[in-house]
Amino acid sequence: MPALNPSIRINKWIYSILAFLISFESGMAQENSSPLFKELNPRKLKIGFKNNLREDEQNNILRYEYFYNGAGVAIGDLDNDGLNDIFFTSNMSSNEVYKNLGEWRFEDMTKKAGIAGKKSWTTGVAMVDINADGWLDIYVSYSGKGDVESRRNELWINQKDFTFLDEAKEYGLDDPSNSTQALFFDYDRDGDLDMYLLNHHIEVITEIEFDQARGVRHPYAGDKLYRNDNGKFIDVSEAARIKGNALGFGLGVVSSDVNDDGWPDLLVTNDYIEPDYLYINQKDGTFEDKTTEYFQHISHFSMGADISDINNDGLVDIYTLDMLPEDNERQKLLYGPENYEQYALMVERGFYHQNMRNMLQLNQGDGLFSEIGQMAKISNTDWSWSALFFDANNDGNKDLLVTNGYYRDYTNRDFLKYKGDYYFKQAVANEKADTLHLVTSMTSTPVSNYIFESNGDLTFTDRTEDWNIDKPGFSSGAAYADLDNDGDLDLVINNLNEPPGIYENQSKGSNYLTIKLKEDSQNPFAVGSRAKITYGKNQQILDLQPVRGFQSSVPPVLHFGLGDEEKIETIEITWPDGSIQKLSDVGINQILEIEKSTSTSSALAESQKTIFTAAEAPNYSSGVVGFNDFKRQPLMISMPSYIAPVMAKADLDGDGNLEVYFGGTKGTPAEIKTLKDGKWIDYSGFKGDSYYTDAVARFADVNGDGMMDLFVGSGGFHDYISSDEGLVDRLYINQNGNLELSTDFPDYKFSTGTAEFVDVNRDGNPDLVVGARMLPGRYPEIPTSQILLNDGSGNFSVSDGLLPSGGKIGMVSSSIVIDANSDGFDDVILAGEFMAPTFLINTGSALEDQTEKYLDQDLSGWWGSLAKGDFDGDGDEDFLAGNFGLNSQFVANEAKRLKLYSADFDQNGSIDPILECYVEDEAYPFPSRDELLDQMVSMRSKFTDYASYSTAKMEDLFSQEELEKAQVLTAATLESYYLENTPEGFKATPLPKLLQAFPIYSILPIDVNRDGNLDFIAGGNQNFTRIRIGMIDAGFGMVTLGDGKGNFNVLKPNESGITIKGDIKSTIALENDSLVLFGVSQGPIESYKIND
Amino acid sequence: MIKRTGILVGVLLICFNTFGSPVSKVSSWPEIYADELFHITEVMVTDVASPPVAARIYAYTNLASFLVIEGSTESFRYPEFLPFTYLEDQNFDNSNLSSPEFAAIYAMLLVGEKIMPSGYLLKEKMQEWESFGLKEKLLKKKELDIHISTAKKVADWVISVASKDGYLQLSTLTRYSPTKEKGRWYPTPPAYIAAIEPEWKTIKPFFLQDLDPFDPEEMAPFNLSQGSSFRSQLDEIIEVTSNLTEEEQLIANFWDCNPFMVDVTGHMAIGIKKISPGGHWMGITGIAAEMEDLSFAETAYIHTLVGMTLHDAFISCWKAKYETDRIRPETVINEELDRTWRPLLQTPPFPEYTSGHSVISRASAIILTNYFGDNFDFLDTSEIYFGLPEREFQSFLQASEEAAISRLYGGIHFRDAIEEGVKQGEKIGEYIWANLEK
Repeated sequence: MPALNPSIRINKWIYSILAFLISFESGMAQENSSPLFKELNPRKLKIGFKNNLREDEQNNILRYEYFYNGAGVAIGDLDNDGLNDIFFTSNMSSNEVYKNLGEWRFEDMTKKAGIAGKKSWTTGVAMVDINADGWLDIYVSYSGKGDVESRRNELWINQKDFTFLDEAKEYGLDDPSNSTQALFFDYDRDGDLDMYLLNHHIEVITEIEFDQARGVRHPYAGDKLYRNDNGKFIDVSEAARIKGNALGFGLGVVSSDVNDDGWPDLLVTNDYIEPDYLYINQKDGTFEDKTTEYFQHISHFSMGADISDINNDGLVDIYTLDMLPEDNERQKLLYGPENYEQYALMVERGFYHQNMRNMLQLNQGDGLFSEIGQMAKISNTDWSWSALFFDANNDGNKDLLVTNGYYRDYTNRDFLKYKGDYYFKQAVANEKADTLHLVTSMTSTPVSNYIFESNGDLTFTDRTEDWNIDKPGFSSGAAYADLDNDGDLDLVINNLNEPPGIYENQSKGSNYLTIKLKEDSQNPFAVGSRAKITYGKNQQILDLQPVRGFQSSVPPVLHFGLGDEEKIETIEITWPDGSIQKLSDVGINQILEIEKSTSTSSALAESQKTIFTAAEAPNYSSGVVGFNDFKRQPLMISMPSYIAPVMAKADLDGDGNLEVYFGGTKGTPAEIKTLKDGKWIDYSGFKGDSYYTDAVARFADVNGDGMMDLFVGSGGFHDYISSDEGLVDRLYINQNGNLELSTDFPDYKFSTGTAEFVDVNRDGNPDLVVGARMLPGRYPEIPTSQILLNDGSGNFSVSDGLLPSGGKIGMVSSSIVIDANSDGFDDVILAGEFMAPTFLINTGSALEDQTEKYLDQDLSGWWGSLAKGDFDGDGDEDFLAGNFGLNSQFVANEAKRLKLYSADFDQNGSIDPILECYVEDEAYPFPSRDELLDQMVSMRSKFTDYASYSTAKMEDLFSQEELEKAQVLTAATLESYYLENTPEGFKATPLPKLLQAFPIYSILPIDVNRDGNLDFIAGGNQNFTRIRIGMIDAGFGMVTLGDGKGNFNVLKPNESGITIKGDIKSTIALENDSLVLFGVSQGPIESYKIND
Repeated sequence: MIKRTGILVGVLLICFNTFGSPVSKVSSWPEIYADELFHITEVMVTDVASPPVAARIYAYTNLASFLVIEGSTESFRYPEFLPFTYLEDQNFDNSNLSSPEFAAIYAMLLVGEKIMPSGYLLKEKMQEWESFGLKEKLLKKKELDIHISTAKKVADWVISVASKDGYLQLSTLTRYSPTKEKGRWYPTPPAYIAAIEPEWKTIKPFFLQDLDPFDPEEMAPFNLSQGSSFRSQLDEIIEVTSNLTEEEQLIANFWDCNPFMVDVTGHMAIGIKKISPGGHWMGITGIAAEMEDLSFAETAYIHTLVGMTLHDAFISCWKAKYETDRIRPETVINEELDRTWRPLLQTPPFPEYTSGHSVISRASAIILTNYFGDNFDFLDTSEIYFGLPEREFQSFLQASEEAAISRLYGGIHFRDAIEEGVKQGEKIGEYIWANLEK
């Protein structure tokens, strides 16, 4: 096993060498062929540091849980000679400091500086000018299993001659906690720097002790806040409402003004079960943890973190690291059984929604964040430690470094399940079991760090190989700094048992600006300032806060990459006290020193008018479904029971007031309400039945009596069996305002997905096209969609042969009626899971599949919604198609299709649906080993351990013959699209990136801003997926403005005013499109009206 | 195997029949039988077979050996039990075998190979068994084929029976969803393992054609008010477990039989493994057979009978468990009384009522007592490989009593689940044995 990964990496190296040769031979410019970073040999730089671990009986992972976490690095100009010096911490040996002599030469000053520190377990380091003398001091954190004295942190005061004296005690900062990292900031804006001390526990906390541990402040494991009172630091943790319980295994701390109120906030990331803390500064000396309010889900085993504005919209975004690997093999070795009960219990006990992957929380303003890490393609970086956003290539977009690696393959499932055999075998062999041996015999897999280039569109591209950061190893703390003063940021990475990685940035030709801030105060480096630069339509912001990533700090300067921009129009500095200073027309490619001027302005509170405000909502809630569909079919991806509520509107009693139908779900009957003079009143002419789950509701006058009748399609999965009466669709005939259930409506049984009234046979009567979605318990068997012909008096009969493929069109969920061929007759487009939008053209006697005529690419996807409208103002009908989106582990394109194989492979009477999907460049079965073995007994003897399954492909699961006999459904795209009606067919263009961040289940096309151009609101999210996939909840009801030319601009929630959390299943507009209702899964209807 | 071979040589007597061809006569068949069966146990430990699954495996593997040897004996000590099962007796012909014993063990291993996920591990054991058979002259090399083909025939039949007992259908059934209602079972720390085999009642028992008569008496209803039966039992657990004597702790551990105890340390988790309760009683059966120096046929007889009894007892018990869906002491104590309380033993991942160990231990003990007699002194060495000392018992019933009460010491069962479980097991054991005395 351990040999496999390195060999993959080696192959990658060979590949990149080949790529280099090819590009060289084809005569490409030399500049492009040299990678952005050059790895320098530390020995040649005279840097002899190495963080060596000695593993023995006294020092090992069993005695100290954080034995392999690694050490840190701090960079700053310690002697004010204009060159950045480097300080390394070493876990078990002496820390070392290196003076930068320029030209990539360094001198080991450790001895002279007197700064080696004590022989204790050393963790993080921060450079800070604690005594405001203009010289950087150094704060070093300690932990480990030693006594209190051995853990006291050190504060090395700069003596201005490259010697340092530890005065931690004098300052009151010789804290004996098990510290990870200290962060200095001025939380009370009194002008001096206070300190947050991030700590961790060194004992294992078992699950049973959670509740008890949470209630108690732990003296050494709990984080601490120290307030600076004239040079004496006082522990104010409790008064400031800083949590200090022993569950906090703090691994990352970053400070920034997250909510733009001018006060520094704090992000604290916690390993294991304890959620991260997002401390919002209450401006009164206290903080409040707003994690669950701001974030909808978070990393589980959170490690390092960074806060930075990744999309240059002026709002800082938050990124937390975790440990999910990128490749299939390591994922399969890691994933165990999905435990819904444990998950529910943890959520109930206040541990919130946590998933094991990196999370990128995109700041949407007003305390709303959309987690888009997977869409951004930075979610899987293995066991990760440091995250640093910085502009590596000076192009104006912040790139990302992630360091990673863990010395032992700890989380390997085989270790849990089969290494226990070791004890048993030792007993049978009559030999003593040695747990340390067990641990040291665990495999060790070096992995490469990651570096990602920002594409400037919320996504990143992995440049690890291109930029030469791909040497496998075990890396921990890291810092960026311009070490050679050439205007770009170099990298220093602390490694386990290897010399540090030192990377020279070789960028050329791009412009930059470095800003140094200075103020005459107790905080001379102005830590906590924010700089905003603007040029053209662009802006960038940076926070001056050196501590970020993991156990490390960067120099107290701000580095902006500018690409080919020649001029900066304005610089706006927000100083730590909140005052604002503006500069304009500043030269580039320089180190600009800005001193705080006496004439600053204060920030103006901006108030923005939103388009919508919340309005009085009808009192209807779709009810809690309560079924876990995975208990019935464990290999599905999301739960099909959760489709409620649907909505439909009509004036049922002809009084001029609209009635709205709110569809029910099993256990919660549907209701109809009337909107009259802005108030919602119950409608008496209808009684819902709690046995059905409504999938679609359509009003039409089916019998020509001038009254609107109602068709309701019954869907759901729940515990419906194939002969279930609950699956029968219903027709309600309007008798003087009373909806009465028709008794002779056809009683076909499947889970209905959608339906449309269309005059199929052109006899003037509305017929029904019913899209079948699935057979509950038999997913993904394709049920037979139906055409029901109407005799004109509301009698419908099943008519075979009018649909292509005998009605077996797909797992249909969505539909629109559209005149696709402009012949004056309604056609139908159906879409659903594992099918393309299917164009059913009305021939006058049947509906014919003519998709190929209208689409020139394979748009098979996981479609959830369709909506039509003229978005380009050319008079014909275009449409929008909502897909699963890109914010998940799944990828799909024409080269990498998702394939769903299904058959009763083991012939035990149940359908075995096995999804095959691409991970990197190869396709693998999606289920984890436990999931597969639970579904198919025969697989238990095929894959007796996780290792054997970790490389298995579909062909290893099944014979060629079995695969050939199986039903195979494919999907070639997960993107949501705009489909423009053109004479050559429908031209598909992906919707803006933010709309790809969640599955879209409802689209409402209306002109939101009354500019005459059609806009739309996209609602969706999917919170009922497998635990491994996790909640996809980046959408809030996204108002998207159209420009009348087919271009779209997604508004932030703080611009639109719509801030719905949860899964939006339906949307309708009332009152001339000025009032919008949102049907939210498992919750009340939400209502918003357009502001006048 | 290697360790034991040395001992075996000493007890192997080679006889010659009247035709002068060598026929092995092994004096310690029970020991060999137990050793070979232990190979199956080892694979179960590797696979982490759950207690009911383990019992099913013991039933079918022993059945195969019994079916091979059945025909080579004029009569057994007690009547044949297969007629009282739903199985049709096959009367496999073994007259052409020089060593039906060899074929019987081979068939047992073959069934084990097929029926267990990691059954392939037995391939090596089958080869060793072949070498052993040839080396000890149980059979000649040219006779191997006929022995193995007979073993295969029997094994195939057993596997075909097993494939129709409902096991393969389990994965088609909707998985059990624990509810959060008061008094109902919910997964327990530290690993919150999902409910084990919630639909086990759909598996076909051998003897118990109708399971309902073997349902336990009503359990004490969930009621936390002072003076209620439930509350008193709850208080008893806290009381007993906080004052455990060394002996009681030893008893609890001796009968733990948890196939997979999860030991979590931060990111590191190790599953500590033990034999299942069924495995423990198979061990006792082997010990008794060896003490009585039973013939191979009698050894196979009693192992098979105990194996099938275990299987039926587990089905009956598991039916009760999921019908009553009772909360575990750990959950209710943590939720209502003391959130730091923790049982001595790790709470097993299935509902509480009735105690599986109580049911199956009693049922096995009834069979063994009827077969070997009461007051059968024995030294139980079954748990030595799992770091626990040997333990002496005066009778099977005494051992079963101790196994039952151990669950109270362990803090994982209420008293009524133990006492009613013992009654349930007794009923099952007596019902099965009564067939043989008709």
